[in-house]
Amino acid sequence: MTVSSEDSALDEDELGRALQRCAGGDRAALRKIYEGEAGRMLGVAQRMLRRPALAEEAVHDTFLQVWRHAASFDPARGSARGWLFAILRHRALNILRGEVRTDLVDDFEPMGLLSEEDKPDAMIMRLSENGRLRRCLEKLDPARRDAIVLAYGNGLSHGELAGRIGVPLGTVKSWIRRSLSVLKECMG
Amino acid sequence: MTADDRDAFAAAYVLGLLDPRDMQEAERLLAEDPAYAAHVADWRERLSELDRTAPSLPLPQGLWTRIEAGLDAPATAQPAAGIRTETVRAEAAWPERKAQPEPALSRLWRSLGFWRGIGLAASAAAVLLSVALSVAAVQLGRKPAMIAVLLTDSREPAAVVHTFRDGRAELVPLAPIDVPAGRALEIWTLWDRARGPVSIGLIDEARTVRLNLDELPRTDEGQLFEITLEPSTGSPTGRPTGPILMKGTASAPL
Repeated sequence: MTVSSEDSALDEDELGRALQRCAGGDRAALRKIYEGEAGRMLGVAQRMLRRPALAEEAVHDTFLQVWRHAASFDPARGSARGWLFAILRHRALNILRGEVRTDLVDDFEPMGLLSEEDKPDAMIMRLSENGRLRRCLEKLDPARRDAIVLAYGNGLSHGELAGRIGVPLGTVKSWIRRSLSVLKECMG
Repeated sequence: MTADDRDAFAAAYVLGLLDPRDMQEAERLLAEDPAYAAHVADWRERLSELDRTAPSLPLPQGLWTRIEAGLDAPATAQPAAGIRTETVRAEAAWPERKAQPEPALSRLWRSLGFWRGIGLAASAAAVLLSVALSVAAVQLGRKPAMIAVLLTDSREPAAVVHTFRDGRAELVPLAPIDVPAGRALEIWTLWDRARGPVSIGLIDEARTVRLNLDELPRTDEGQLFEITLEPSTGSPTGRPTGPILMKGTASAPL
Protein backbone atom coordinates (compact mmCIF):
# COMPACT_ATOMS: atom_id res chain seq x y z
CA MET A 1 0.00 0.00 0.00
CA THR A 2 1.29 3.44 -0.88
CA VAL A 3 0.26 6.42 1.10
CA SER A 4 -0.41 9.60 -0.74
CA SER A 5 0.91 12.30 1.54
CA GLU A 6 0.17 15.99 1.58
CA ASP A 7 3.65 16.64 0.26
CA SER A 8 3.06 14.81 -2.98
CA ALA A 9 0.04 16.95 -3.91
CA LEU A 10 0.69 18.82 -7.14
CA ASP A 11 0.38 22.57 -7.35
CA GLU A 12 -1.93 24.12 -9.90
CA ASP A 13 0.80 24.66 -12.51
CA GLU A 14 2.20 21.15 -12.17
CA LEU A 15 -1.27 19.72 -12.49
CA GLY A 16 -2.08 21.80 -15.57
CA ARG A 17 1.17 20.76 -17.23
CA ALA A 18 0.56 17.11 -16.37
CA LEU A 19 -2.89 17.33 -17.99
CA GLN A 20 -1.32 18.79 -21.14
CA ARG A 21 1.10 15.90 -21.25
CA CYS A 22 -1.76 13.43 -20.74
CA ALA A 23 -3.47 14.94 -23.76
CA GLY A 24 -0.30 14.12 -25.68
CA GLY A 25 -0.47 10.50 -24.55
CA ASP A 26 2.15 10.61 -21.78
CA ARG A 27 1.28 7.91 -19.24
CA ALA A 28 3.94 9.06 -16.82
CA ALA A 29 2.02 12.32 -16.50
CA LEU A 30 -1.17 10.48 -15.58
CA ARG A 31 0.81 8.47 -13.06
CA LYS A 32 2.12 11.69 -11.59
CA ILE A 33 -1.43 13.01 -11.16
CA TYR A 34 -2.39 9.69 -9.61
CA GLU A 35 0.44 9.82 -7.11
CA GLY A 36 -0.25 13.42 -6.23
CA GLU A 37 -4.02 13.50 -6.14
CA ALA A 38 -5.58 10.03 -5.99
CA GLY A 39 -5.43 9.80 -2.18
CA ARG A 40 -7.40 13.01 -1.77
CA MET A 41 -9.73 11.99 -4.58
CA LEU A 42 -10.42 8.71 -2.80
CA GLY A 43 -11.18 10.68 0.37
CA VAL A 44 -13.65 12.93 -1.46
CA ALA A 45 -15.32 9.96 -3.15
CA GLN A 46 -15.57 7.93 0.04
CA ARG A 47 -17.12 10.81 1.94
CA MET A 48 -19.89 10.78 -0.65
CA LEU A 49 -20.21 7.08 -1.38
CA ARG A 50 -19.27 5.72 2.07
CA ARG A 51 -18.24 2.34 0.67
CA PRO A 52 -14.53 1.98 -0.09
CA ALA A 53 -15.18 -0.25 -3.12
CA LEU A 54 -17.48 2.34 -4.69
CA ALA A 55 -15.05 5.17 -3.92
CA GLU A 56 -12.31 3.19 -5.61
CA GLU A 57 -14.55 2.65 -8.62
CA ALA A 58 -15.19 6.40 -8.84
CA VAL A 59 -11.46 7.20 -8.74
CA HIS A 60 -10.68 4.47 -11.26
CA ASP A 61 -13.30 5.74 -13.71
CA THR A 62 -12.18 9.34 -13.17
CA PHE A 63 -8.62 8.57 -14.19
CA LEU A 64 -9.82 6.86 -17.36
CA GLN A 65 -11.91 9.92 -18.19
CA VAL A 66 -9.03 12.27 -17.41
CA TRP A 67 -6.89 10.25 -19.79
CA ARG A 68 -9.45 10.36 -22.58
CA HIS A 69 -10.58 13.94 -22.15
CA ALA A 70 -7.38 15.66 -21.00
CA ALA A 71 -7.33 17.64 -24.24
CA SER A 72 -10.65 19.23 -23.31
CA PHE A 73 -9.20 20.85 -20.20
CA ASP A 74 -9.09 24.58 -20.85
CA PRO A 75 -7.19 26.64 -18.27
CA ALA A 76 -9.12 29.71 -19.41
CA ARG A 77 -12.32 28.19 -18.06
CA GLY A 78 -11.19 27.09 -14.62
CA SER A 79 -8.39 25.54 -12.62
CA ALA A 80 -6.89 22.14 -13.35
CA ARG A 81 -7.73 20.93 -9.88
CA GLY A 82 -11.30 22.14 -10.27
CA TRP A 83 -11.56 20.23 -13.55
CA LEU A 84 -10.15 17.05 -12.02
CA PHE A 85 -12.42 17.12 -9.01
CA ALA A 86 -15.47 18.08 -11.06
CA ILE A 87 -15.04 14.86 -13.06
CA LEU A 88 -14.62 12.90 -9.84
CA ARG A 89 -17.65 14.46 -8.16
CA HIS A 90 -19.73 13.94 -11.27
CA ARG A 91 -18.77 10.29 -11.39
CA ALA A 92 -19.41 9.82 -7.66
CA LEU A 93 -22.83 11.50 -7.89
CA ASN A 94 -23.75 9.26 -10.79
CA ILE A 95 -22.83 6.21 -8.78
CA LEU A 96 -24.71 7.62 -5.80
CA ARG A 97 -27.90 8.66 -7.59
CA GLY A 98 -28.29 7.53 -11.14
CA GLU A 99 -27.07 4.04 -11.49
CA VAL A 100 -28.59 0.74 -10.66
CA ARG A 101 -26.21 -0.89 -8.24
CA THR A 102 -26.40 -4.59 -7.76
CA ASP A 103 -24.09 -4.92 -4.81
CA LEU A 104 -25.89 -2.69 -2.37
CA VAL A 105 -26.62 -5.01 0.45
CA ASP A 106 -23.50 -6.85 1.57
CA ASP A 107 -22.10 -4.02 3.65
CA PHE A 108 -24.65 -1.35 2.99
CA GLU A 109 -24.62 1.34 5.60
CA PRO A 110 -27.84 3.15 6.38
CA MET A 111 -27.90 6.82 5.37
CA GLY A 112 -27.86 7.98 8.97
CA LEU A 113 -24.29 7.02 9.65
CA LEU A 114 -21.51 9.49 9.11
CA SER A 115 -18.13 9.10 10.70
CA GLU A 116 -17.11 11.86 13.09
CA GLU A 117 -14.71 13.39 10.64
CA ASP A 118 -17.35 13.53 7.91
CA LYS A 119 -19.71 15.62 10.05
CA PRO A 120 -20.26 19.12 8.69
CA ASP A 121 -18.68 20.86 11.68
CA ALA A 122 -15.51 18.84 11.26
CA MET A 123 -15.39 19.70 7.57
CA ILE A 124 -15.72 23.41 8.32
CA MET A 125 -13.07 23.23 11.03
CA ARG A 126 -10.66 21.85 8.45
CA LEU A 127 -11.23 24.76 6.11
CA SER A 128 -8.49 27.32 6.24
CA GLU A 129 -9.37 29.77 9.00
CA ASN A 130 -8.70 32.80 6.88
CA GLY A 131 -10.18 31.37 3.73
CA ARG A 132 -13.11 33.13 2.13
CA LEU A 133 -15.28 30.02 2.11
CA ARG A 134 -15.02 29.46 5.84
CA ARG A 135 -15.50 33.13 6.64
CA CYS A 136 -18.60 33.21 4.47
CA LEU A 137 -20.01 29.88 5.64
CA GLU A 138 -19.73 31.14 9.18
CA LYS A 139 -22.09 33.97 8.34
CA LEU A 140 -24.83 31.40 7.82
CA ASP A 141 -27.10 30.02 10.49
CA PRO A 142 -25.59 26.64 11.60
CA ALA A 143 -28.37 24.42 10.23
CA ARG A 144 -28.23 26.16 6.84
CA ARG A 145 -24.46 25.91 6.79
CA ASP A 146 -24.76 22.18 7.53
CA ALA A 147 -27.18 21.75 4.64
CA ILE A 148 -24.69 23.23 2.16
CA VAL A 149 -21.76 21.24 3.53
CA LEU A 150 -23.70 17.95 3.69
CA ALA A 151 -24.93 18.40 0.13
CA TYR A 152 -21.51 19.16 -1.30
CA GLY A 153 -19.33 17.03 0.98
CA ASN A 154 -21.52 14.00 1.54
CA GLY A 155 -23.62 14.10 -1.60
CA LEU A 156 -26.93 14.29 0.25
CA SER A 157 -30.02 14.98 -1.85
CA HIS A 158 -32.69 17.52 -0.89
CA GLY A 159 -34.80 14.71 0.55
CA GLU A 160 -31.93 13.28 2.54
CA LEU A 161 -31.05 16.74 3.85
CA ALA A 162 -34.64 17.27 4.95
CA GLY A 163 -34.58 13.95 6.77
CA ARG A 164 -31.20 14.56 8.36
CA ILE A 165 -31.86 18.09 9.53
CA GLY A 166 -35.47 17.37 10.38
CA VAL A 167 -37.19 20.10 8.39
CA PRO A 168 -39.62 19.88 5.47
CA LEU A 169 -38.28 19.46 1.96
CA GLY A 170 -39.45 22.89 0.84
CA THR A 171 -37.66 24.51 3.76
CA VAL A 172 -34.40 22.79 2.83
CA LYS A 173 -34.76 23.89 -0.77
CA SER A 174 -35.34 27.52 0.15
CA TRP A 175 -32.53 27.43 2.75
CA ILE A 176 -30.12 26.14 0.15
CA ARG A 177 -31.11 28.68 -2.42
CA ARG A 178 -30.88 31.61 -0.01
CA SER A 179 -27.65 30.36 1.58
CA LEU A 180 -26.04 30.07 -1.84
CA SER A 181 -26.98 33.60 -2.66
CA VAL A 182 -25.49 34.79 0.67
CA LEU A 183 -22.32 32.82 -0.11
CA LYS A 184 -22.09 34.30 -3.56
CA GLU A 185 -22.58 37.82 -2.21
CA CYS A 186 -19.92 37.21 0.45
CA MET A 187 -17.36 35.46 -1.73
CA GLY A 188 -17.83 37.50 -4.84
CA MET B 1 -34.55 31.76 -16.99
CA THR B 2 -33.42 35.01 -15.36
CA ALA B 3 -29.73 35.51 -14.66
CA ASP B 4 -30.38 34.76 -10.97
CA ASP B 5 -32.24 31.55 -11.81
CA ARG B 6 -29.45 30.50 -14.09
CA ASP B 7 -26.89 31.11 -11.36
CA ALA B 8 -28.99 29.22 -8.81
CA PHE B 9 -29.35 26.35 -11.27
CA ALA B 10 -25.58 26.29 -11.76
CA ALA B 11 -25.04 26.27 -7.99
CA ALA B 12 -27.51 23.41 -7.49
CA TYR B 13 -25.73 21.50 -10.24
CA VAL B 14 -22.33 21.95 -8.58
CA LEU B 15 -23.78 20.97 -5.21
CA GLY B 16 -25.16 17.80 -6.80
CA LEU B 17 -28.76 18.64 -5.94
CA LEU B 18 -30.42 18.34 -9.34
CA ASP B 19 -32.72 15.45 -10.13
CA PRO B 20 -31.80 13.36 -13.18
CA ARG B 21 -34.00 15.31 -15.59
CA ASP B 22 -32.65 18.71 -14.48
CA MET B 23 -29.18 17.24 -14.51
CA GLN B 24 -29.51 16.50 -18.20
CA GLU B 25 -30.73 20.02 -18.83
CA ALA B 26 -27.81 21.38 -16.78
CA GLU B 27 -25.35 19.44 -18.87
CA ARG B 28 -26.93 20.49 -22.12
CA LEU B 29 -26.57 24.12 -20.98
CA LEU B 30 -23.02 23.49 -19.87
CA ALA B 31 -22.14 22.33 -23.37
CA GLU B 32 -24.06 25.02 -25.25
CA ASP B 33 -24.25 28.13 -23.10
CA PRO B 34 -20.92 29.79 -22.21
CA ALA B 35 -22.58 32.16 -19.71
CA TYR B 36 -24.05 29.22 -17.83
CA ALA B 37 -20.74 27.37 -18.01
CA ALA B 38 -19.08 30.41 -16.44
CA HIS B 39 -21.54 30.31 -13.52
CA VAL B 40 -20.74 26.61 -13.04
CA ALA B 41 -17.00 27.31 -13.11
CA ASP B 42 -17.43 30.10 -10.52
CA TRP B 43 -19.36 27.81 -8.19
CA ARG B 44 -16.83 25.02 -8.57
CA GLU B 45 -14.07 27.39 -7.56
CA ARG B 46 -16.05 28.78 -4.63
CA LEU B 47 -16.80 25.36 -3.17
CA SER B 48 -13.67 23.48 -4.19
CA GLU B 49 -12.00 24.29 -0.90
CA LEU B 50 -14.37 21.77 0.70
CA ASP B 51 -12.76 19.00 -1.37
CA ARG B 52 -9.52 19.76 0.38
CA THR B 53 -11.12 18.97 3.75
CA ALA B 54 -11.45 15.31 2.75
CA PRO B 55 -8.76 13.08 4.20
CA SER B 56 -6.14 11.80 1.79
CA LEU B 57 -6.65 8.03 1.94
CA PRO B 58 -4.10 5.29 1.36
CA LEU B 59 -4.29 4.05 -2.22
CA PRO B 60 -5.52 0.48 -2.55
CA GLN B 61 -3.05 -1.98 -3.98
CA GLY B 62 -3.71 -2.70 -7.62
CA LEU B 63 -5.74 0.43 -8.31
CA TRP B 64 -3.11 1.96 -10.57
CA THR B 65 -2.66 -1.36 -12.38
CA ARG B 66 -6.40 -1.47 -13.06
CA ILE B 67 -6.39 2.11 -14.29
CA GLU B 68 -3.42 1.46 -16.53
CA ALA B 69 -5.08 -1.64 -17.94
CA GLY B 70 -8.11 0.50 -18.84
CA LEU B 71 -6.11 3.11 -20.74
CA ASP B 72 -5.84 0.98 -23.85
CA ALA B 73 -9.46 -0.03 -23.96
CA PRO B 74 -11.48 1.87 -26.56
CA ALA B 75 -13.68 4.52 -25.01
CA THR B 76 -16.81 2.69 -26.02
CA ALA B 77 -15.86 -0.32 -23.93
CA GLN B 78 -16.11 1.84 -20.83
CA PRO B 79 -19.74 2.27 -19.86
CA ALA B 80 -20.73 5.91 -20.35
CA ALA B 81 -17.26 7.32 -20.73
CA GLY B 82 -17.97 10.95 -21.60
CA ILE B 83 -18.73 13.19 -18.67
CA ARG B 84 -21.75 14.56 -20.41
CA THR B 85 -23.21 11.35 -21.70
CA GLU B 86 -23.39 9.65 -18.36
CA THR B 87 -26.75 10.97 -17.34
CA VAL B 88 -28.24 8.90 -20.11
CA ARG B 89 -27.87 5.97 -17.78
CA ALA B 90 -30.22 7.52 -15.30
CA GLU B 91 -32.87 7.30 -17.99
CA ALA B 92 -32.36 3.56 -18.08
CA ALA B 93 -34.02 3.46 -14.71
CA TRP B 94 -37.26 4.29 -16.53
CA PRO B 95 -37.75 1.45 -18.95
CA GLU B 96 -40.64 1.89 -21.30
CA ARG B 97 -43.42 -0.47 -20.54
CA LYS B 98 -44.80 -2.22 -23.54
CA ALA B 99 -48.30 -3.64 -23.44
CA GLN B 100 -48.00 -7.16 -22.11
CA PRO B 101 -50.33 -10.03 -22.76
CA GLU B 102 -52.44 -10.39 -19.66
CA PRO B 103 -50.61 -12.93 -17.48
CA ALA B 104 -52.22 -14.75 -14.63
CA LEU B 105 -52.51 -12.15 -11.89
CA SER B 106 -49.82 -12.59 -9.35
CA ARG B 107 -50.80 -14.47 -6.26
CA LEU B 108 -50.24 -11.51 -3.98
CA TRP B 109 -52.11 -9.08 -6.15
CA ARG B 110 -55.14 -11.36 -6.13
CA SER B 111 -55.03 -11.97 -2.42
CA LEU B 112 -57.83 -9.70 -1.26
CA GLY B 113 -57.01 -10.33 2.36
CA PHE B 114 -53.64 -8.75 1.78
CA TRP B 115 -55.18 -5.58 0.42
CA ARG B 116 -57.91 -5.31 2.98
CA GLY B 117 -55.82 -3.96 5.82
CA ILE B 118 -54.91 -0.71 4.09
CA GLY B 119 -57.94 1.50 4.54
CA LEU B 120 -57.71 4.97 5.92
CA ALA B 121 -56.50 3.93 9.36
CA ALA B 122 -52.96 5.13 8.82
CA SER B 123 -50.96 5.56 11.99
CA ALA B 124 -50.69 8.96 13.63
CA ALA B 125 -47.08 9.09 12.55
CA ALA B 126 -48.05 8.62 8.94
CA VAL B 127 -50.57 11.42 9.12
CA LEU B 128 -48.07 13.77 10.71
CA LEU B 129 -45.48 12.93 8.09
CA SER B 130 -47.83 13.40 5.20
CA VAL B 131 -48.83 16.76 6.62
CA ALA B 132 -45.21 17.82 7.00
CA LEU B 133 -44.41 16.76 3.45
CA SER B 134 -47.43 18.37 1.89
CA VAL B 135 -46.56 21.58 3.71
CA ALA B 136 -43.17 21.30 2.05
CA ALA B 137 -44.76 20.96 -1.34
CA VAL B 138 -47.11 23.88 -0.70
CA GLN B 139 -44.15 26.07 0.12
CA LEU B 140 -42.80 25.25 -3.30
CA GLY B 141 -46.03 26.51 -4.76
CA ARG B 142 -46.93 22.99 -5.76
CA LYS B 143 -49.67 21.66 -3.61
CA PRO B 144 -50.16 17.97 -4.36
CA ALA B 145 -53.54 17.06 -5.78
CA MET B 146 -53.30 13.66 -4.11
CA ILE B 147 -51.14 12.15 -1.39
CA ALA B 148 -50.68 8.47 -0.66
CA VAL B 149 -48.79 7.33 2.44
CA LEU B 150 -47.31 3.89 1.78
CA LEU B 151 -47.22 1.60 4.81
CA THR B 152 -45.19 -1.54 5.37
CA ASP B 153 -46.63 -4.82 6.54
CA SER B 154 -46.12 -3.66 10.12
CA ARG B 155 -48.00 -0.43 9.37
CA GLU B 156 -44.93 1.76 9.45
CA PRO B 157 -45.05 4.67 7.01
CA ALA B 158 -42.22 4.03 4.54
CA ALA B 159 -42.83 6.42 1.63
CA VAL B 160 -45.19 9.10 0.36
CA VAL B 161 -46.50 9.53 -3.18
CA HIS B 162 -47.46 13.04 -4.27
CA THR B 163 -49.36 13.60 -7.48
CA PHE B 164 -49.74 17.11 -8.88
CA ARG B 165 -52.35 18.73 -11.06
CA ASP B 166 -49.91 19.15 -13.91
CA GLY B 167 -49.66 15.36 -14.12
CA ARG B 168 -46.32 15.11 -12.39
CA ALA B 169 -45.86 12.75 -9.48
CA GLU B 170 -43.08 11.85 -7.10
CA LEU B 171 -42.20 9.18 -4.59
CA VAL B 172 -40.53 10.38 -1.40
CA PRO B 173 -39.13 7.56 0.75
CA LEU B 174 -39.27 7.98 4.52
CA ALA B 175 -37.09 5.05 5.53
CA PRO B 176 -34.17 3.14 4.04
CA ILE B 177 -35.03 -0.14 2.34
CA ASP B 178 -32.67 -3.09 2.06
CA VAL B 179 -32.50 -4.10 -1.58
CA PRO B 180 -30.79 -7.48 -2.15
CA ALA B 181 -28.18 -7.84 -4.88
CA GLY B 182 -29.65 -7.98 -8.37
CA ARG B 183 -33.02 -6.66 -7.29
CA ALA B 184 -34.77 -3.33 -7.58
CA LEU B 185 -37.81 -1.56 -6.20
CA GLU B 186 -40.67 -1.28 -8.67
CA ILE B 187 -43.45 1.20 -8.05
CA TRP B 188 -46.96 0.35 -9.23
CA THR B 189 -50.36 1.88 -9.24
CA LEU B 190 -53.76 0.32 -9.70
CA TRP B 191 -56.02 2.81 -11.43
CA ASP B 192 -58.37 0.27 -12.94
CA ARG B 193 -58.78 -3.26 -11.62
CA ALA B 194 -59.70 -4.50 -15.06
CA ARG B 195 -56.44 -3.19 -16.49
CA GLY B 196 -54.44 -4.32 -13.49
CA PRO B 197 -51.38 -2.72 -11.88
CA VAL B 198 -49.23 -0.43 -14.04
CA SER B 199 -45.51 0.09 -13.44
CA ILE B 200 -44.70 3.75 -12.83
CA GLY B 201 -41.08 3.58 -11.70
CA LEU B 202 -38.06 1.43 -10.96
CA ILE B 203 -35.35 2.39 -8.47
CA ASP B 204 -32.36 0.63 -7.03
CA GLU B 205 -32.71 2.04 -3.53
CA ALA B 206 -35.00 4.21 -1.48
CA ARG B 207 -34.64 7.68 -2.96
CA THR B 208 -36.92 10.44 -4.18
CA VAL B 209 -37.96 9.89 -7.78
CA ARG B 210 -40.30 11.32 -10.35
CA LEU B 211 -43.02 8.81 -11.17
CA ASN B 212 -44.27 8.20 -14.68
CA LEU B 213 -48.03 8.66 -14.68
CA ASP B 214 -48.08 9.97 -18.24
CA GLU B 215 -50.14 7.16 -19.62
CA LEU B 216 -52.68 7.17 -16.84
CA PRO B 217 -55.75 9.27 -16.17
CA ARG B 218 -55.67 11.67 -13.24
CA THR B 219 -55.10 9.97 -9.90
CA ASP B 220 -58.34 9.16 -8.11
CA GLU B 221 -59.31 9.16 -4.47
CA GLY B 222 -58.50 5.70 -3.12
CA GLN B 223 -56.14 4.80 -5.98
CA LEU B 224 -53.65 2.19 -4.83
CA PHE B 225 -49.87 2.65 -4.96
CA GLU B 226 -47.41 -0.03 -3.97
CA ILE B 227 -43.76 -1.02 -4.18
CA THR B 228 -42.60 -4.58 -4.90
CA LEU B 229 -39.19 -6.17 -4.97
CA GLU B 230 -38.37 -7.16 -8.56
CA PRO B 231 -35.36 -8.18 -10.68
CA SER B 232 -33.01 -5.26 -11.26
CA THR B 233 -34.43 -4.62 -14.74
CA GLY B 234 -38.01 -4.65 -13.51
CA SER B 235 -40.68 -7.28 -13.44
CA PRO B 236 -40.30 -9.65 -16.40
CA THR B 237 -44.05 -10.00 -16.79
CA GLY B 238 -45.10 -6.36 -16.55
CA ARG B 239 -47.01 -7.25 -13.39
CA PRO B 240 -45.79 -7.38 -9.79
CA THR B 241 -44.04 -10.70 -9.20
CA GLY B 242 -42.09 -10.12 -6.00
CA PRO B 243 -43.11 -9.46 -2.42
CA ILE B 244 -44.97 -6.23 -1.70
CA LEU B 245 -42.85 -4.01 0.52
CA MET B 246 -45.36 -1.22 1.11
CA LYS B 247 -48.66 0.08 -0.17
CA GLY B 248 -51.19 2.81 0.40
CA THR B 249 -54.09 4.63 -1.18
CA ALA B 250 -54.36 8.21 -2.39
CA SER B 251 -56.35 10.90 -0.59
CA ALA B 252 -56.84 14.55 -1.47
CA PRO B 253 -55.26 16.95 1.03
CA LEU B 254 -57.58 19.48 2.64
